[in-house]
Amino acid sequence: MLRFVARRLAFAVVSVAAVVLVTFLLVHAAPGAPMLGTPETIASPEVVARQRALFGLDRPLPEQLLRYAVNLARGRLGESFVLHRPVADVLAEAVPNTLLLGGTALLASLLLGLAAAAAQAARHHTRTDTVLGVVTLVFYSVPVFWLGLVLLLVFGEHLHWLPVAGMTSAAIHDRLPPLGRALDVARHLVLPAASLALVQAAAFARFQRAALLETLAAAHIRSARARGLPERAILLRHALRGALAPTITLAGLSVPYFLAGSVLIESIFGWPGLGRVTYDAIFARDYNVITAAALVAGVLVALGNLAADVAVAVADPRIRVDR
Amino acid sequence: MRLLPAVFAAAAIAASCERCAAPPGAAGGTMVIAATGDADVLLPPVTSLTTGINVSDLLFCRLAELKLGLNTIDDSGFRPVLARSWEHPDSLTIVFRLDPRARWQDGAPVTAADVAYTFRVYRDPAVNAPLAPFLAAIDTVTAADSLTAVFRFRRWYPEQLYDATYHMRILPRHLLDTIPAARLATAPFARAPVGDGPYRFVSWRTGAEITLAGDTAFFLGRPGLDRLIWRIVPELPSAVSQLLAGEADAMEVIPARGQLERVQQARNVRLVPYASPFYGAIVFNLRRPPFADREVRRAVAMAVDRQTVVRSVFGPFADVAAGAVSPMQWIWSDSIRQLPFDTAAAARMLDQRGWRRTAGGARGRAGTPLRFTLLVPTSSQWRQQAAVIVQDEMRRLGVELHIEPVEFTVMERRTTSGDFDAALVSRTTDPSPASVLQWWSPGAGANIGGFADSAFQALTATALRARTRAEAAPRWRRVLERLNDEAPAVFLVSPRNEAAIGTRFADVTIRPDSWLATVTEWRVAGDRGAAGR
Amino acid sequence: MSPWRLAARRFARNRPAVRGAALVALLALAALVGPLFAADPLAQPDPVRLQDRPPSADHLMGTDPFSRDVLSRTLHGARVSLVVGVGAALLAVTLGAGVGLVAGLAGRRTDQLLMRGVDVALALPRILLLLAVFAVWDNAPAAAVVGLIAATGWFQTSRIVRAAVLSLREADFVVAARALGEPGWGIVRRHLLPHVAAPVIVSASLDVGNIILLEAGLSYLGLGVRPPTPTWGNMIMDGKDVLLSAPWVALAPGLALVVTVVAFNLAADGLRDALDPRAAA
Repeated sequence: MLRFVARRLAFAVVSVAAVVLVTFLLVHAAPGAPMLGTPETIASPEVVARQRALFGLDRPLPEQLLRYAVNLARGRLGESFVLHRPVADVLAEAVPNTLLLGGTALLASLLLGLAAAAAQAARHHTRTDTVLGVVTLVFYSVPVFWLGLVLLLVFGEHLHWLPVAGMTSAAIHDRLPPLGRALDVARHLVLPAASLALVQAAAFARFQRAALLETLAAAHIRSARARGLPERAILLRHALRGALAPTITLAGLSVPYFLAGSVLIESIFGWPGLGRVTYDAIFARDYNVITAAALVAGVLVALGNLAADVAVAVADPRIRVDR
Repeated sequence: MRLLPAVFAAAAIAASCERCAAPPGAAGGTMVIAATGDADVLLPPVTSLTTGINVSDLLFCRLAELKLGLNTIDDSGFRPVLARSWEHPDSLTIVFRLDPRARWQDGAPVTAADVAYTFRVYRDPAVNAPLAPFLAAIDTVTAADSLTAVFRFRRWYPEQLYDATYHMRILPRHLLDTIPAARLATAPFARAPVGDGPYRFVSWRTGAEITLAGDTAFFLGRPGLDRLIWRIVPELPSAVSQLLAGEADAMEVIPARGQLERVQQARNVRLVPYASPFYGAIVFNLRRPPFADREVRRAVAMAVDRQTVVRSVFGPFADVAAGAVSPMQWIWSDSIRQLPFDTAAAARMLDQRGWRRTAGGARGRAGTPLRFTLLVPTSSQWRQQAAVIVQDEMRRLGVELHIEPVEFTVMERRTTSGDFDAALVSRTTDPSPASVLQWWSPGAGANIGGFADSAFQALTATALRARTRAEAAPRWRRVLERLNDEAPAVFLVSPRNEAAIGTRFADVTIRPDSWLATVTEWRVAGDRGAAGR
Repeated sequence: MSPWRLAARRFARNRPAVRGAALVALLALAALVGPLFAADPLAQPDPVRLQDRPPSADHLMGTDPFSRDVLSRTLHGARVSLVVGVGAALLAVTLGAGVGLVAGLAGRRTDQLLMRGVDVALALPRILLLLAVFAVWDNAPAAAVVGLIAATGWFQTSRIVRAAVLSLREADFVVAARALGEPGWGIVRRHLLPHVAAPVIVSASLDVGNIILLEAGLSYLGLGVRPPTPTWGNMIMDGKDVLLSAPWVALAPGLALVVTVVAFNLAADGLRDALDPRAAA
């Protein structure tokens, strides 16, 4: 088992390196200089040229790549062209916020998805199953940015139930007691996390329902049923326990979804996370930030895949032989 | 489960606080500003993003400030700030006497050595200050004594005082001079600065919030609002939703018509219009056909119904541009002579130049169709909208206009390298009329179309020598009229700026070049300051 | 009865799936024929007085902030979504199947190389790469959008196909065919492809909806197929400023998106159940 994990970990490192390489080449091959000033004010060409020289962008591409690789090996991610600060600092602030948003959404979607799937599986071929099937199908088919806009308008602007945007309340946040602060952040978290979670919960539910039904049909459960255990007890004790590994797998493999969603949702709700940093950096051609963001995203995706692989391997020992 | 009641209680507190963003008394002097972008750094020489400029402007003072009229020529157009007074001992020298009360927020006095240091920083290539080119006419800045700063110019010109005061915000030498110039922008100071302005830096949560507090010890008097908080929400509709939901009080400008209409209907915020520093124009590339031909440019310009473009894209929120000038500038006037909208005349002009209508209705000459490509940035909705309307008008004239929406940085690259037929650009002017030269004088980096006209140059040379505003105004007018005649661009529109300000704020005035320049005078209505008036 | 005919019969008995397929056919027809009758989606008949008009007899779904006909744009947008969705899914599946077959049939070393490559590729943050490429690409044509979405979306399919090939390689009928001296390509064509086809079709059909949503997300950010060409994503972007005052502008493309993706997913669910009876519960 340990060797298996070590090998997967090695692959994860290689894949992250590949991500960084591809991203580096992509952004440097891009036309358009790093942006200076706002879209409406254009810096003079001399200033731009000097800026390029300061960041070594006038050097040949292989040299730039080599320099970047050497710095990266030393743990240096470089400096943001626009923000004039170490990229590591930028990410250190943004990544936890994205983890909070994505983690909450992931947890919520797993619980919601599993609950819906269990309800459907327990009442297979009933009205509940059908209705939940339609609901999950619709949410599975909704664009996440559209859902976000609608939630914002309805619950934020129209009903005033929840804050429209941001991560904390202006002015009062710092004066709240610690618990109040946590609640303040939680209130701001609801809408963006719900936007991400509802869509993904639908995906989980669709998958888990099928998995649960399959497990319910399996042999050991049939025997439990033969022993006279009530249907609901079977579902809870046997089927759900069997569904644990696939759930971890699902969670691991859903990391790219949450990263993609965060780009859209963080913009809409003004959530200061990785998605927004990346989006801003791409449009400003802030090369070092883009590449580092890809690095972090690659690490998160690789970790998710690793978790999924391990979960599969633990649940199904045959797979270890195959890999 | 015993935690539960406590959780509910705290939730209720949080909820009740949220409902009344500023409970009277407790945070009565707080203004929350919704911004669509974060700041970059808070170090004036290198700050270039809007929010960064807005924030650092309140932390660092200039020697003198323009008054509301933005008269950049006459000394009477300025009011003292760090400099209590100034004099011109000769035509190449300005001597500033600093206000002895001025203090850095760590208690150190603001001295002439700070002024001299600031000039060195702005001019240092390692700092690469975007505004450095504007200081080219200043030769040296020296400290005669601790409160006397002497500016020496390379040549005489009427806007010396403007250049000496407008582009630089004075920096604290004692806190910065140990940092190498190239590291200034990345130094911790640039993210948590110590200034000398009406506000002190409190905190900056990247991508989320920047907080400033009024400096009760500010030497020109404590500002009317105790606290300014910028909340960063990148999506414009969400930012406006914050205003409408009462989570924010103010926004510098609402740049989209749909959002303006939302704010118009709100009760807790009102729109405050102010002259804008922008004009939008279709700039022609004069280096290649068809726009190397003056008559073709004029014909195209005359076939654009700018009134329709402005009304349909902006509704009531913009005006037709009078020329290469923004309404904020004192050289602006609505009586500047412009090309008329006259499609028939435009058609005749094209006929005369041999661009005749062919069977399909499109114009061509010797088998070459009359067509051009218009670059439009994808980031700007109004420019895309305007482009489509112009395209339709061109079709009626028999000219084929192809719209090419490109990303902003790509547009910049292509326009500066001359790889375009025409580009729909937006220009931000500063208050000085010299900004006309930035875009239209030969050899200037931003003169993307390659406009070169000796009459224009002669006229600007004369205008630049005028000693007073009264003398200069008619000369600049002739400069602008020459540009309109030569039509290096179709000067389309001057969007009107509309700030959104909470109705609970009083004494709100806006200086067009810098919307928070007078924020120290803003007050919460009913606050003691306002009641005492 | 052949397994395909059995599957078809199972599909036909699955009412939601049939409805989904019918809806897909209807949408395809609308996208194909609709634009022929609809107004010019780029025409701005009267940008002054016809902005954001509510639905009327002249404009069944109203007009947008540019006075363009929302119905016509929605129909044209359908073309982009369907072409990108179906095209990219087909292309991705073809690529994935090709790589999967090669990996499954070629020697151990090729297999290792390809599958490690796929492992690496699966860690690529797809949206980030697409964002970066399209932000750079001045004016990407729909073909480029299809190509790039496909190029970043075939990895999972190649795994599925490889697994299927590996399990079939030692199957009796393949071993027998080999023993009878049938050439390699013949074995692939006659014995492997038909068996691999089922998971591939299911994977492709499930992908379509996701790709349509992905493309909409890119367009919403102003990337990919660029304005003024109508796409549902950029129509929602155009409409978000007037979401309250003129909700039809963003509602029409939003609903079209949801309905289309639902239709594809219904049909895809049906296909999966029909082709993989084990999963049909």
